[in-house]
Amino acid sequence: MGGGAVGLWQVVRFLHVTGAMVWVGGQLALSLVVLPLARRLLAAEDRDRFAARAGRRFGMLTGAVFLPVQLGTGWAIAWHKGVTWASLGEPGYGRVLGAKLGLFAVVMLAAALHGWAHARARPELARALAVASLVGSLGVVLLATALPAT
Amino acid sequence: MSGAEHTPRPDGRRRLPLLQQPAGPPGDGGPGGSGGSAGRSGRAARQDMRSRQVRAHLLVAGWAGLALLAAAAPDTLPVARWLAVHLLLLGAATTAIVVWSEHFAVAMLHAPVPDRRWSTARLAGVNVSVAGVLLAVWAGPPALIAAACAALAVAVTAHLVVLVRLGRGALGGRLAPVVAYYRAAAVALAAGVVAGGTLATGSAGAAGHTALRLAHVHVTLLGWIGLPVLGTLFMLWPTVLGVRMHARTTPTARRVLALTGGGLTVAVTGLAGPAVLPGPGAAVAWRAATVAGLAAYAAGVAVAVRLWAATVRRGRKAVSVAAAWSLAASAGWLTAGVVHDLVLFATRSPAAAQDGVESLVPLFLLGFVAQVLIGALTYLLPVVTAVGPKARAGSRAVLERAWQARLAALNLAVALLVLPLPGPAATLGVVLAAGAAVAFLGLVVTVLGRRAGAVVTPRAPVLIGTAAAAVATALAVLVAGGGAGGGTTTASGAGTGGAATGTRTVAVSLHDMRVSPSRIEVPRGTALRLKVTNRDAQRHDLRIEDGPTTSLLSDGQTRTLDLGTLTGDRKGWCTVPGHRAAGMTLDIAATGTADGGGRTAAQGAEGHDGHSATASEGSGPDLSADFSAGWHSRDAALAPAAGATVHRIGLHVRQRTVEVAPGVRQRMWTFGGIAPGPTLRGKVGDVFEVTLVNDDTTMGHGVDFHAGALSPDAPMRTLEPGERLVYRFRAERAGAWLYHCSTASMLQHMGNGMYGAVIIDPPGLDEVDREYLLVSSELYLGTPGSAAQVEKMRADTPDAWVFNGVAAQYAKAPLRVRAGERVRFWVVAAGPSDGVAFHVVGTVFDTVYKEGAYVLRPGDGAGGSGGSQVLDLAVAQGGFAETEFPAAGHYPFVDHDMRHAEAGAHGVVEVR
Repeated sequence: MGGGAVGLWQVVRFLHVTGAMVWVGGQLALSLVVLPLARRLLAAEDRDRFAARAGRRFGMLTGAVFLPVQLGTGWAIAWHKGVTWASLGEPGYGRVLGAKLGLFAVVMLAAALHGWAHARARPELARALAVASLVGSLGVVLLATALPAT
Repeated sequence: MSGAEHTPRPDGRRRLPLLQQPAGPPGDGGPGGSGGSAGRSGRAARQDMRSRQVRAHLLVAGWAGLALLAAAAPDTLPVARWLAVHLLLLGAATTAIVVWSEHFAVAMLHAPVPDRRWSTARLAGVNVSVAGVLLAVWAGPPALIAAACAALAVAVTAHLVVLVRLGRGALGGRLAPVVAYYRAAAVALAAGVVAGGTLATGSAGAAGHTALRLAHVHVTLLGWIGLPVLGTLFMLWPTVLGVRMHARTTPTARRVLALTGGGLTVAVTGLAGPAVLPGPGAAVAWRAATVAGLAAYAAGVAVAVRLWAATVRRGRKAVSVAAAWSLAASAGWLTAGVVHDLVLFATRSPAAAQDGVESLVPLFLLGFVAQVLIGALTYLLPVVTAVGPKARAGSRAVLERAWQARLAALNLAVALLVLPLPGPAATLGVVLAAGAAVAFLGLVVTVLGRRAGAVVTPRAPVLIGTAAAAVATALAVLVAGGGAGGGTTTASGAGTGGAATGTRTVAVSLHDMRVSPSRIEVPRGTALRLKVTNRDAQRHDLRIEDGPTTSLLSDGQTRTLDLGTLTGDRKGWCTVPGHRAAGMTLDIAATGTADGGGRTAAQGAEGHDGHSATASEGSGPDLSADFSAGWHSRDAALAPAAGATVHRIGLHVRQRTVEVAPGVRQRMWTFGGIAPGPTLRGKVGDVFEVTLVNDDTTMGHGVDFHAGALSPDAPMRTLEPGERLVYRFRAERAGAWLYHCSTASMLQHMGNGMYGAVIIDPPGLDEVDREYLLVSSELYLGTPGSAAQVEKMRADTPDAWVFNGVAAQYAKAPLRVRAGERVRFWVVAAGPSDGVAFHVVGTVFDTVYKEGAYVLRPGDGAGGSGGSQVLDLAVAQGGFAETEFPAAGHYPFVDHDMRHAEAGAHGVVEVR
């Protein structure tokens, strides 16, 4: 880690970006690759069990690793950049960040409700919420790219 | 089944036509049937009809959900308010009306079911063109709006044609007149679309805008939505209550349509009339027509309500108590709204009534439209989507969950929003209404979702999820890139402080379909803020391309937009549909660079409305910004001398942080907590006994009164912190005198605020109506005594020149005088380095007194014709000038050294 190119803050940012990558990529892989294959290849009973297990494992990973890492690194980056609550309303960086945080909260809510709907045996609702969470995450990434890189 | 209407069931209740399932034409298998055999027509047709209903109601729920989303972002989303209203009315309500009016028309006319594919095509046409209208208005190009409106008009006409053709050769029934309501409504929507399109494309122009807008609002709300609701209620109300229709229903329905439809035609003609034939003479006739038409409409509603009330009295336990209450409440709000509307137009001019009509919007949207949708769907959704009495009861139970709480919340919300209550009440209303609406939408989706297995394809959740997230993302992107809510912009402007270099605030007003100035030129790199004020009876906002947007502003409201540092040209416009096209645009041009003195004029080519005196410099405080809330100007009025001949004054030296320019706070060294210090006034021969106390714990101070003659050694010595002395002098000579701190460096002590005035009246001073005292001085920002600040003092490059200590304060809080009054302005030049050339624009001084002598008195000069334009005072000199203000108006006063005037030494005398 010698040299000036990679310092502490680059590592923090790396963790933040990687976390987002894994979360969005994991959702995409699950819903576009794994689950469709499972639906096609597994028997009805196995299929449901597999989907439930895969979902639960991804959910636990989200709650135990992804969420703490994103919140921790995100908070650290914001602190490093001198972001205040008030500045979240100001045009430019602040407002983009504010909107991104709001959308992230919505995505997390959708993800949590997905788990709830699944547990309550509401497959249609669960599916809609899963898709909403995935598309919303892409929206978060879109807003993240809109943050001026300074 | 078709004859069931006349056949009482065993329990004595009548089966009403809306319960019919469209199982083909009467006597199945007749010509025009769905083509299948009699065997197929039963279950398959019913199943098909159910899935169509479910899909249609998913559409309704979708529109309503989008309306809620748009309503949730009133300040951020462009045209959000317009969008919310139209998503609900043009999206949700229109879809529901098209679906149900066709369904009921078939049932009530006992007509054959129209071809399903064409029905679907018409509904799709209406929905696609509605979406087109919404998107086109959002995007803005007039051609697109016109095309979308035309498409919608075509779709509505197709709907009308079907309604008319259904009536031909149909058997008809007792309720056939209700179909006439639907036809009238379709005509009203077509008219509303034409009026709306004209408005949104900006073709109406400024003059016709108000008239056409009122016509549009009335013809759509009372016509397209009001008429079908009234008509349907004749049948739905007894059905929901589970009682027979009143015997007078058919003739009453005819009469009510004549009254409401005819009245609305007259009223809308009267409202739109001024757009075609303006003028005060015609206006009286138009207004009379409006009032007469609205009165007829109100009478029609009253007749209908009386019939429904009579129905209730004969009632028993309702089929759906929840639906009945919602329908009753919505009818109540409709009645209240129409009556209030009538009163508004009867007592005010249309332009003045417009604001009142605006305030009725929540009443109509939530109280009437949303509630009638809730009531009707609570009853109808189980009927059309559930199979069998058990499933129907189950669906109804879901839709009626917590109905009392929802009903109470929604109606309380409407009351809170409509009544003139303080802000928090309205906020509570919005929260309650949103809660009730979201709750009902959730129940609707639950009921529709129950049929998911049979109807909704497996793709539906994917589509719904994608759509929901896409909407959320779009909202987030809009919030990120777009508008500024009033609160946040104001907050972001608060941190400007003394470092406001390169910030410019330009006042922008919105009126007569114009943004004024329509062009602003500022040097590239300037941080630009726009203080946007609506000066129009109708509401406007201002959106800056790639920048913030104000909320919709009512007449007189002001918002500040922070555009940040300007790097290139920008455009701005009003987002109210049609206003941009009508010319409400603003060009912001970034010129050259901010260098080269940075004193390029801020005003654009159209900055003609008298801002010249307020144009600020490139550096220094931003003078056109607002002072903080709670700021008060220093009273410039000068009280007459007290009667006593000995004046005892306590003078405490203190440091104070005060607002010295708009939004700029500065630590000052003061006599008595204010700069300039307290004013002393007396007559020649009076004795002043001043007890000076140095409460400043950080440094020594003293005082020097120019008005008295004495040996300086003792009284003018420096007092260390905590010390005091009594400074006693007799005012032997008249004049406007300076007093100031006598401790070195006097440049710094005076430059930081330690100066004041002593006024000793000359013997025989004439009485005048008003006397003001203006002490001129320089203002140096920064930490008092710091190298940077002292350097500015040495170089005589102050941050502002001020009267009575605060830059531009009398521009914000003018001196108020009545026309014809004689006013004396006492002026003392405190410096520390610059004198003053005091001038009042629009007046001539007939009396000037300077340094103990009259320079000019009335009657001086050749033939008594002498006048004076400026009271010129070198540093530390004083005097007065007198003038009379001939007529009402705004008379700026300035230090006629224009560097000083433009950098704070200006104010206004407001003569009334």
